[in-house]
Formats: sequence, C-alpha cells, structure tokens
Amino acid sequence: MRDFFIPEKTVLDRDRRFSEKGVKKKMISNKNVRNIGISAHIDSGKTTLTERVLFYTKRIHAIHDVKGKDGVGATMDSMELERERGITIASAATFCEWNGHEINIIDTPGHVDFTIEVERALRVLDGAVLVLCAVGGVQSQSITVDQQMKRYRVPRIAFINKCDRSGANPFRVVKQLKEKLGHNAVAMQIPIGLEADFKGVVDLISMKALFFEGDNGEIVREAEIPETLLDEARERREELVDAASLFSDELTEAILEEADISEAMIADAVKKGALAREITPVFMGSAYKNKGVQPLLDGVVQFLPSPDEVKNFALEMTDQEKEVALTSDPADRLVSLAFKLEDGPYGQLTYVRVYQGTLAKGDTIYNVRTGKKVKVGRLVRMHANQMEEIETVPAGFIGAMFGIDCASGDTFVHQGMELTMTSMYVPEPVISLAIVPKDNKAQINMSKALNRFTKEDPTLRTYVNDETNETIISGMGELHLEVYLERMRREYNADVDTGMPQVAYRETITQLAEFNYIHKKQTGGAGQFGRVGGYMEPTAEADFIFENKVVGGAIPTQFIPACEKGFRNCLPKGPKLGFPVANVKVVINDGSSHSVDSSEMAFQAAARGAFLEGYNKAKPVILEPIMKVTVETPTEFQGAVMGTLNQRRGIILGTQDEGPMCVIEAEVPLSDMFGYSTVLRSSTQGKAQFTMEFSAYKQVPKSIAEELIKKAAEGKKHVA
Amino acid sequence: MADVIHLRERFFSMLKKDLIFRNPLRAMGSEDHDPNEEILPVGGFGAVLARAGLGKTSLLVQLALDGLLRGRNVLHVSLADPVRKVCLWYEEVFRNIAAQYRIQQMEQMWETILPHRLIMTFGKGGFSVPKLEERLSDLAEQDIFLPKIMLIDGLAFESDDIAGTLSELKALAAAYGLHVWFAVRTHRDDPPGPDGMPATVGRVADFFDVAFQLKPDGSSILVQPLKGTTKDADRSDLILDPSTMLIRDLAATQSA
Repeated sequence: MRDFFIPEKTVLDRDRRFSEKGVKKKMISNKNVRNIGISAHIDSGKTTLTERVLFYTKRIHAIHDVKGKDGVGATMDSMELERERGITIASAATFCEWNGHEINIIDTPGHVDFTIEVERALRVLDGAVLVLCAVGGVQSQSITVDQQMKRYRVPRIAFINKCDRSGANPFRVVKQLKEKLGHNAVAMQIPIGLEADFKGVVDLISMKALFFEGDNGEIVREAEIPETLLDEARERREELVDAASLFSDELTEAILEEADISEAMIADAVKKGALAREITPVFMGSAYKNKGVQPLLDGVVQFLPSPDEVKNFALEMTDQEKEVALTSDPADRLVSLAFKLEDGPYGQLTYVRVYQGTLAKGDTIYNVRTGKKVKVGRLVRMHANQMEEIETVPAGFIGAMFGIDCASGDTFVHQGMELTMTSMYVPEPVISLAIVPKDNKAQINMSKALNRFTKEDPTLRTYVNDETNETIISGMGELHLEVYLERMRREYNADVDTGMPQVAYRETITQLAEFNYIHKKQTGGAGQFGRVGGYMEPTAEADFIFENKVVGGAIPTQFIPACEKGFRNCLPKGPKLGFPVANVKVVINDGSSHSVDSSEMAFQAAARGAFLEGYNKAKPVILEPIMKVTVETPTEFQGAVMGTLNQRRGIILGTQDEGPMCVIEAEVPLSDMFGYSTVLRSSTQGKAQFTMEFSAYKQVPKSIAEELIKKAAEGKKHVA
Repeated sequence: MADVIHLRERFFSMLKKDLIFRNPLRAMGSEDHDPNEEILPVGGFGAVLARAGLGKTSLLVQLALDGLLRGRNVLHVSLADPVRKVCLWYEEVFRNIAAQYRIQQMEQMWETILPHRLIMTFGKGGFSVPKLEERLSDLAEQDIFLPKIMLIDGLAFESDDIAGTLSELKALAAAYGLHVWFAVRTHRDDPPGPDGMPATVGRVADFFDVAFQLKPDGSSILVQPLKGTTKDADRSDLILDPSTMLIRDLAATQSA
C-alpha cells in the first residue's frame, strides 16, 4: 500500500488558491500552465531529471537518486518496486512552479511493456520533453515513444542528458533526431566542455554562458561566452535563427534588412515552429551533475504550449461521434478525462484532466460510459506519493478525485452532456500466464488486486479458464505481467504460483469449404430438425463475417439469427486446438426446416455442426503472434545477436550500421522470446538492449503445430 | 497431412515459375539468356543508371524480387535509406506485382520469399568494403544468411576512390560467388562517353558486365541497354510504368 502524506500547511495554501471562489479571485491563468510529460528510453535519466526539476522548483528539499546510496530513491519512483528496480512503472503525476508558471508533470515509464502508460500520459498532455542520452543517442524506445507523440500530435522539446558521460556527443544526437526521427531539431544551446569537463551551456538566444554553481547547481551564473566557443556559438546561432525564420516574417525581414534581431523575436519564432511540431528545440545538460536543468525549465515555459494553445476535441455521442471543439474555459460546462487510477488507503484515486469547465468538490458529474451520476468527494493534487487537498480543478489542469468508481479512460462531463474524449488506442494482449493463489487469503487478495489492476491498465486482462479453473492474466509482455505479479505480492499480500507463460495462439482456415449439415433428433417428445448449407472461406477483413444468402425461405427468417449465434458460439474455442478462431467468413445459402420440429435451438445446433463440418475441410491452421524485435548492440556483437535471433526462428529483416552501434530488426515468434533479455545480456556483456512490439499473426510451422497438438492432447488427458 | 503441405508448396512453386516466366526483366539479359539463370555471371557487376527520382531503387527491387522468386538469397545494401524505408520499397513493389498479375494469395507468397531477403544499411560515411566483408563473414559463419545476389544502392560513384572500392567489391563478389547490381545516380549535365556510358561511370565502366540506363521519354521511362546485352543499344524493349514503377515489355504492350 502506498502511504499518502498530507502536509497540513500546504493544504491551507492550496485551499486558498483553489477555493471555489478562488477561481475568480486568485488563480493561475490557463496561459501560465504547462501539462508536460517526460518520455524517453529506459535509463536515459528521466527520473533523475524529474527529481532535479522538483528540487529547483522547491517541491522537494533534498535530492535522492535512483539506485542512490541513501536508499531513499527518486521522489517520482513512488512504488517500492520501482525503487528496487531503478525503473519507473506507473506515471506519477506531480506539479511544480517555475517563473510564475505551473508545470504539471507526468513521469512516464520507459520500457516498451508499459507503453499504455506512455500513451495515456501523452493523451492528456499538451507538450513533452523527450529525454535522450548524449552517449546512446536516439535509441529504439525513443523511436517508439516519438511515434506515440506523433499520434497524439504532442509538441516536444528535447533534452540531451548525460553530457558529462564519457563518449557524450550531443551534436551526434541532434543529427540522429533529424535523420532517425525526422525532426527539425535545432540546438538552443551548445555545451561548454564535454564528458568529465562538462561545465555548463551557452544559450544561443541570449548568447550568454550559463554555469551551475552551489552544492546542487541551484545558482545559475550568467557569464560571457568563453573565447574558444565564440565562433561555434555564432555559427550555431545562425543555424537557429535560420530555422526559426521560417516561422516569423518579422524575423525574416530583420535578417534580410540586417537589422537587430531581438531575443524575443527568435523565441517567438521558435515557439511557433515548436507548436506546429515543425521545430524541436534541443537543450543540453546533465541532470545527475545538476547542470542545464533550469534552462530546460525555461524552455518548457517558453516553447511548450499552454492548454489554451492546444485544440482539444471530444466526440458527440448523440451525433454519430461528431468532433466537438472544447473551449478550455473554466466557466464552461465540464468535460474531463479520467486517465489513471491508483489504489490508496483512502480508496480509489482517479487522476483526471479537465479540458473544459471546472471540476469542483461537491459537484455531481456524469460518467458518459456508464451513464451514472457521481458526486465529487475529495479533490487532490498529486506530488509523487504526497498529495495536497484542493477545492477545484479548472480547465487545463490535472488533479485527482477520491472515491469515484470508474475505469481508466472514462469521460466525466456536466450532467446532460453526451461528449466523450477520443478513446485511447489499446493494443490486444499477446501473452498469458496462469496464476493460482497459494491459500484462501491470497485468493481474496488476488481478486482485489486484479480488479484494481485491470481497471488501471486496459492492456491487462484477466479471466478464469473453465477447464483448468485457473485464473489467467494476459498482457503485453513478460515484464508487464511480472511487474503486476510483484505488485500483487507487495501491495496486496497475494502470493500466487505461476504457470509457464502462454502465447495467445489463434486458429484460422486457409481455403474455401462447403458444409451441409442436418441436425435431426427424435428421441421422444418434440423433435429437433434443422439443415444448414453454405460455405466458409478465409477473410482478412474481420475476425468473423456472417452472410445470409438464403432465398425462398429455405431457412425461415426467424431462425437466421439462431444460425449466426450457432456459428459465433464456435469461435472462442476452435475445433482444431481450442484456440480462438479468427478471419473466417461464413455464408449460408441453403437449408431446410420442419414446421413442428424446427426451433432456434435446433438451428443453433445445426450451425454448430455445419461449422465443424466445414472447418475441418477448410484446412485449418494455427496462427501465432509474431513480434517485431529491435536490438541495439555495439557492432562487435552484431553476429552474436543475429545468431540469438536466428536460433529463435527469427527472420532478420535488416541491420542498420550506425558507427559504433548497430540496430538489428527482426521478426520473431513471441513464443521464442521468453527469457530473451537474459540471453541477450549474457551474449553481449550487457551492452545490448532490445524492444519488441506486436507485428502480426502468422501461421506456425508444421513442427511447432505438431508440438502444440501433442501438448493439447496431453492437457486433455490431464484434465480428464 | 503431408500431402496437403506438398500441394501447397507445389502451388506456390508453380505460381513463382509463372511469375518468373512472365517477368519482363528476362528481356534485360542477352538474346539466349535463360530466364531461370542470372543475367550476370558469377562475380559479375550490373548497373542501373539514372538521374534522381526516375526509379533506380524500384528497378533494383524488381531485380531482387525476381531473384527471391527463384529462391536466391538477396542481400540489399543501402547506403542511403534506413531498413524500414527499404522494407517499404519491397512491400510496395511486391504489392504492385501482385496486383498486376492478380495473385490471390499474396500474403502467403510474401511469407515464402521474406526469409531469403536481408537488408543491410550503413549510415553516411559508414560504409567500407572490409566492414561489409566482416558482416558477410559473420552471417556465413553462423549459417544465418549466405547471399547469392547483392544489390548496392547509394554508393558514391563520384568519389575519387570509386575504382578502389569497386575492385575490392569485385574480389568480395568472386569470393562469395555473388551477382552484384548497383544503382548509379547520374546527373543531368553528365555527358555520355563514346560508349554511351555517362561520365559518372565512364571511368569505371570496365568493372561492369551489364549496364542499363533509365531515360525519360515523354510520359514513360525507357530502360535503355548500355552494355552487356546483344540488343541494339538504340532500341529499348522495356519501359518503367510511371504509375506502378514496374517494368513492362514494350513490345508485348504494343502487340496487346
């Protein structure tokens, strides 16, 4: 369980600012709000960066590093598990103030298994900071995260971290941003020294050198640019002005007329470019060494949009989901999105982003999905694992509600409205695991935990297997499920035994086959009769298509839905191996009925028989999920890595040579990827990393199919 | 079930044979060229020359797909585009071929040829023949991939050391028994030499056994033989259809 700490004094402070009347009295304007996410590749230092941001904005008073010797862990890594692993799993939301602006930060996880968290964060954010490592550069996860940002049209600025590390080369990363991600990356700074000599940065707008002094770099000293860097700074500034001039006529004119170019002129032009997502301003520094964080905060305020500057749309449920523009006016009617749920000692905590209107304590709001009215109890603002009570959350802000029963992704609106925020893209799970509680107590706790987790994370699904009576959890990868199992143990004290991870296989047919099945039963009492004729064929259009081409009443119209139901009932458990059936089209074009003995039940049974008859003739095959695997490795291990992928039935699509590093792209069956991280670590001295995402379902080779058939037969024997 | 698999394989094998037979690329070889054999000799070099944007990569990919259909392993080396972009080229060209020849089971066919293709890309300035050789030997040693046809797209023919690079590649091609095709970018103001070869490749023309040039001609693009075929250099049998970027036999089109 997480402990929430409520600082009394702050409660009063917040009450004053956000009191109901305070909306009118003293409230930070929308224009001075930034809702940002910090996204990046795992280990590029985003949690450390967030920690420093909180320190410089005086939200915390001491710095604790991830995997720090003091054992406290970074503030944003609020879960015990995250501290232990040195990674961020859940998006902890927090806020801070900088130069009169309020910045709401969602710290997002870096591992691909948790991308739903990243996607959710991006959905509610107006801008993002893409953290990149000055040594590792643009890595595969950065590419995935960038694609997600593109999907949600999030303007971003980049921060090249770890400039103090050996091998740091920020301009190589700028080049990679351009080449690999297609960004119009423009350096806003140049580093003063690099690696162990990294001292500070030169701001290319003000043309001043910035040094970070004091015990924790909290004093920013402005100085003249060192003589040795002057030429480079002038050259880079020219590049910056050139790039920015595309977005400002005023700046272009000033360049052409060789007039003075003011700092504001450049900053305004860069902001325009950044908001249009046509410029990515690039900042540099080392969060760990406390350098370059304050200018980045200035950059967030200067170049990322306020909620007012972002157009948000909701869908009108009563008008064929027509897009409706939201106003971001706190006085308007409420539209808000619950984007994250957490379980705390005071009940469910629902993180909510208000897009329009104001969410206020005591209000009655309406959940569009469930159609239920709910009353807003306590409202808080989260700061990692501490919280502050507030009275209202106006448009553009992020807050959290207590005691609201809802699911992640629900839209809450003013009563009488039927608007919903665009539903988030939720990928289908690809891996399953059987879990059995160790005792009765664990059984109860496990149910509680799963109930909570599945509400929090739509990519985590759970069901009970009727045959084995085991609870099955499905998710996006091994690590994804592993983390939930650990959370179950730690947060809910639910000890479970786990089976082997199971891949979500499917079945399908490969050719057209006809069926003509008669269901006839006459064993006393009313008989049953129904004949269904037609054909089935593979289709790529949907998992199942049913078409009725029966003419002349061969099957009476009232029994057609029963036929469809009969076919549909066969889909969850395919006749070949019991896997769900996909990509099948069934067409019925013939049949017969009996005036007395035909019934819905009889036609359902006839359809089931017809399905089995046709299915076996239609050459059924088993499909398995194929993952797109991207491995980044130093070139000297390229051969070894390709070997590991090859051994796993992988098809190597290509290799991309990038100086000292090499990226290998391959398609590998998920069933062969279990435990790959360990293998990869040992074969590359821990220097390579990989990401994988679902690519497609493909037919399993004959040898594997035979193995599966054998296993299924053994399983049946075992159940019997 | 064994016979079922066999029939399925036979079906694809027949389909592939049909595609190879109908492939107009066979007209790129000499008159007596066997469509089942390579256009180039073992260790030989072929070049597709054109100005930017005329369809060099598309033609190269069609040559690759022709090899893949014949079961040859194809290594596509790109010095310009990332793996993802090269993959897209293949998917696009294959989709167009499937549409043109009305292949119903395109997906399954694609699955059968995909394992025979490997793309290798090098960042700008990151390519060298010793590096390529190192990669090839890595692949061969672990029995991962042994190419028969190699395509090189984006090699800087204007570089001073191009002759040195080509002779290293020649040795590599001989050692691995490769047939190597190059995409060569020419320039509008590139004057043709006495042999008709643009100046860009003129100085290294001896390395090549076969060379073709893509030349815009009104609304179509002619595939003009420059070297290594018995065909009349002034006569072009093939065109690149600008709508699909697929090669078409002009004579067949006209007679149709």
